[in-house]
Amino acid sequence: MLDVSNLLHNAALLLVALALIGNVAAVATRARLHRAEVPAESRVAVGAGGPDTAFDEAHEPDAPAPHGLGWYSDRLLELSFVVLTISLVLRSIVTGHAPFANQFEFSTAFAWAVVGCFVYFEWRYKIRGLALLVLPITVALLFYASNLESDVSPLIPALQNSLLLTLHVFTAVIGNGAAAVSFAAAVLFLLHRHIPWKIPPSEEVLEEIGYRAVVLAFPMLTLMIVLGALWADTAWGRYWSWDPKETAALVTWLIYGAYLHARVIAGWRGNRAAWLLILGFVAVLFTFLGNHWFGGLHSYA
Amino acid sequence: MTTTKQPTPTRTPPVLRRRRHGPLAELGLGIYHFFHKKKVGLLLILALTIMALIGVLFPQVSPELIADEGSYQSWLDDQRMTYGGWTAVLSFVRAFSMFSSPAFAIVTTLLALSIIACTVHRLPLLWQQATHPRLHAAERLFDRSRLRATLEVPLPPDEAAQHASKLLTGMRFRVLDDPKGPGTNLFADRNRFAPFGTVAAHLAFVLILLGVLFSGSMGFREGQFTVAAGSTRDIGHSTGLNVEVLSFADTYHADGRPKDYVSDVVLREDGQEVARQEVRVNTPLRHNGVKINQSYFGVAADMSVAAADGGVLYDDGLPLEWTNEDETLSYASFRLEEPDLLVYVVAPASGQVNEAIGPGQVRVEVYPGDEDVPSATEIITQGQPAVIEDLTFTFEREQKYTGLMVSRDPGATWVWVGSILLLLGTYLTMGLRHHRVWVRVTPHGPHSIVRLGCPDRIDLAFEPRFRRLADDLTRPPRPTNKEG
Repeated sequence: MLDVSNLLHNAALLLVALALIGNVAAVATRARLHRAEVPAESRVAVGAGGPDTAFDEAHEPDAPAPHGLGWYSDRLLELSFVVLTISLVLRSIVTGHAPFANQFEFSTAFAWAVVGCFVYFEWRYKIRGLALLVLPITVALLFYASNLESDVSPLIPALQNSLLLTLHVFTAVIGNGAAAVSFAAAVLFLLHRHIPWKIPPSEEVLEEIGYRAVVLAFPMLTLMIVLGALWADTAWGRYWSWDPKETAALVTWLIYGAYLHARVIAGWRGNRAAWLLILGFVAVLFTFLGNHWFGGLHSYA
Repeated sequence: MTTTKQPTPTRTPPVLRRRRHGPLAELGLGIYHFFHKKKVGLLLILALTIMALIGVLFPQVSPELIADEGSYQSWLDDQRMTYGGWTAVLSFVRAFSMFSSPAFAIVTTLLALSIIACTVHRLPLLWQQATHPRLHAAERLFDRSRLRATLEVPLPPDEAAQHASKLLTGMRFRVLDDPKGPGTNLFADRNRFAPFGTVAAHLAFVLILLGVLFSGSMGFREGQFTVAAGSTRDIGHSTGLNVEVLSFADTYHADGRPKDYVSDVVLREDGQEVARQEVRVNTPLRHNGVKINQSYFGVAADMSVAAADGGVLYDDGLPLEWTNEDETLSYASFRLEEPDLLVYVVAPASGQVNEAIGPGQVRVEVYPGDEDVPSATEIITQGQPAVIEDLTFTFEREQKYTGLMVSRDPGATWVWVGSILLLLGTYLTMGLRHHRVWVRVTPHGPHSIVRLGCPDRIDLAFEPRFRRLADDLTRPPRPTNKEG
């Protein structure tokens, strides 16, 4: 069963890579078409004679043409999510615990969450451009996991708390996945005014997507830290030890906290807030990869 | 990130008449005005972030180690291999002890003050928005709001307003009438108490800090509470508690990875047993606010010392919890009162082979009073009594000791309450947005023109609902059957 799980892991990597190529082609095609179009006046006459619906110009969804390249890319990505889910479920059946106990499992779960969050945001807001940044992250995570030890080992005593292992790491995984989407939105926001063709969405919508992703990421990171503190209190006798990994998670949380405050401060909106989102995701990656150089209480994870 | 300024409902700019205060009150007000600025809060968060990052990037030492000048210097010498000439500079700026540094305490305190000032400053506004919102909107709100609609509704104004009110109520909006003209005006909002989530989340931070401070001043923590199997040790700290460890066991999986560490612990209060539990890593023993966690373990030596007349001077398990600099030897000490002797017991550290001290042997070093030079040193073998300084020393057997963490954390409850408040506040603020819609209905022949305006920031989740509201408004309500 473990072999099947590993096989599905590699299949998911291939599917995400294909979805990425499809999305690149779909976005490039759309950009080319968009450049060829003459911008049309989108305003609707205001007055008693007809409707003035400003919300129609607020967000133009980037919906794929039925059975076009974008449509197939979306289906490939959804399939990769299903395949990855099955891979993780099979591994959980073999190990007897949630697939969050070592760097291989966490990397795979992280990639799963990135795909899951992106599929949700793509379905909800139809922002195809995000795929160009989110999917390379997923490919990198799955490739990184492929190069890690994937053998099943028994849990060490500190990790033998099935409920908190599942909840604490699951919230981290979801928070990290949503952070990847906010990162992609922030990068696109910063690039938006520098690219020669203006394809949807607008900067305002990208800003909102970034915020929406943080609306998912920030509470999850908060819950992850609180659950981690609860677990640390049970297993290590204190809820906070300034352990490098837990402090790195706090740094990440503080950066997103700073972003939420920056959004409502004149002079900090726009570019600066976007940079904070990018910094936030760098902190996520730093915390995630920190095992390679952190010591401390989290050195096994 | 939005740069477009959205129109706001009409409000008369308040006429600020600065009252004269005494110099102290002026100073207090100045400090308050400084701290409630959001930009100050943001900069303090960023400062705290940078400090925490420094704490992650550089190895941190405990305050106890810093307090011991010799040990700290020795630790710094080790760090020079990595940081070279920068070691002294990094030590000076407290990079190695960031979380116990005055700068960290100051920034954390300033942030707490900023949070309190911001919350106090914001509360009246939030309360007013929730309970006494501005009902009236200027025409430009309907002209410029990001979400707006002007619709012809095939109903007379009163019925169109009623229709709009009904639709908004169906969307779980609170609908209030605005008696001002022109036309019929409505104000509707939803989740009006959600912004109070920010108050909860911010106060949670302060509550957590208070909890940590309370624990620091009223609680205690013994991080290295070692007890040899079969021995008893007082917890102290006026608890009246003592811990007897009946046994300790460490078990391993076939691949050598640890499987379980378990101490069979009896807790007594004033001599009476109050709890007994197998303490494992994830199952601490809790009694009356005192918590006992399994932390680590090691080798202990069961030693006995008898006087020349046969009287027992010492008989206990001695955890060999210290190691020498090159970590080849483990040792521990105990003091005899009569005669006044300090006795060190030394054994090879776990996994180490020592030429002088063989398996089943320990080295005993005896120091009279406070002298630095031992008066006698002898290697003794397990089960074979040896006479040193007229006393009979016996190394009864080797066994294990358990390293427990014993703590009382009276501020923990505050920390957990703060954590729940933080989660609740975060969910309220981010999960439930406060939405406001202004409605203006004016006659247009036999029909009405209905204008909708929502000046709030872009919200992609709310847009489809707003669009649906506009669509539904253009359709007249179904006639209700009035029979009987």
